[in-house]
Amino acid sequence: MTLRAAVVGLGAVGTRAARQLAAAGAAVTLVHPSAPRLAFVRHEVGAPTDAVVGGIDDLPDGLDVVVLCHPGDHRGAAERAVEREVAVVSVADDPAVVRRLLDVHDEAAARGVTVVVGAAMAPGLGCLLARWAADRLAAVTEVHVASVGTGGPACARRHHRALTEPALDHIDGAWVQRPGSSGRELVWFPEPLGGADCYRGGLADPLVLVPAFPGVRRVTARVAATRRDRLTSWLPMLRPPHPEGLVGGVRVEVRGFRPPARPGGPPVADAVVVGASAPPAIAAGAVAATAAIAAGSHRLPAGAAGLAVLADDPGPWLADLGRRGVPAWLFEGADARRLGT
Amino acid sequence: MQALRRAVVALIVAVGAMVVVRLRGTGGTPPRRGGWRQLDPDELAPTSGAGPTDG
Repeated sequence: MTLRAAVVGLGAVGTRAARQLAAAGAAVTLVHPSAPRLAFVRHEVGAPTDAVVGGIDDLPDGLDVVVLCHPGDHRGAAERAVEREVAVVSVADDPAVVRRLLDVHDEAAARGVTVVVGAAMAPGLGCLLARWAADRLAAVTEVHVASVGTGGPACARRHHRALTEPALDHIDGAWVQRPGSSGRELVWFPEPLGGADCYRGGLADPLVLVPAFPGVRRVTARVAATRRDRLTSWLPMLRPPHPEGLVGGVRVEVRGFRPPARPGGPPVADAVVVGASAPPAIAAGAVAATAAIAAGSHRLPAGAAGLAVLADDPGPWLADLGRRGVPAWLFEGADARRLGT
Repeated sequence: MQALRRAVVALIVAVGAMVVVRLRGTGGTPPRRGGWRQLDPDELAPTSGAGPTDG
């Protein structure tokens, strides 16, 4: 049966998600307040699509899934979709928005609907990589995520704000606030990115990762920033953001223990480092489209959560994303216990 | 007037010190060994049934 999907918000990520869904054979309805933008994206998608000038209140009936790619809060839109028993995929990466979306869990679970929270690059792709890496270990003690790059203008504005907002680290079972733009760490991303200095900030990754790893001791997130980003983060953006950023990436380091080398022996401390590099809008659009197909086809558990919780077998997800131009990479050959902090 | 001048000089010195502290140095050293390799399809094979987009 053909999947019926609506994409609300047609920026850089929404356009990519719509294109990926249409290419997968879904019947896509594009929803955006601007008729000229709708016409442009319909041409860009290159496949037959319906178009609605409006917002979340103007969705057609009979949808299987709605993909929320518009800036701002997604809670109200998600609640209205859940009331109609339509699955939801949100690409929001603002911690306040993500927290409000996670609060929809009980209502979504009661109605048997899936709400995928943070289905973008970080969180999103980072969650899938963390789940895959964690499955290589017998026990997970720490998860550290770093990301670099921005998608469209809304993503660039969020990155700018994130550097001034407090970071939420999960340490020994408690949420600890740290100052934004602190904690500089050189993070080595997959080629062609290489090294980038990354800092704490108002990032949503820990909010969706902690529930996936019960008992985890530390979960942190950092984002790459230039010297100019840090110096000007407390000012309004000095110039309008680019229509779309260049190549970006995500790196996930999962630490824990492998099973003992011999029966009765001590567990072996180890770390698995995985990553991906791609233009963030393309990566986020691919993750959102894959999540929409899975959620709209009722292949995910009901409730509101991130992909580290919902995707119990992340390998095929990463393989699917690789076919969409976002391959996953593994760092190996070094003593992983000595990587980073 | 002199107090105002001193305050302005102190502010300029403080801002200059802040800029130097925030922007100097890097966050560590690159890894000296190891490297990235793309994950093989075998490593991403399903372990429990169908994938997210399988028909």
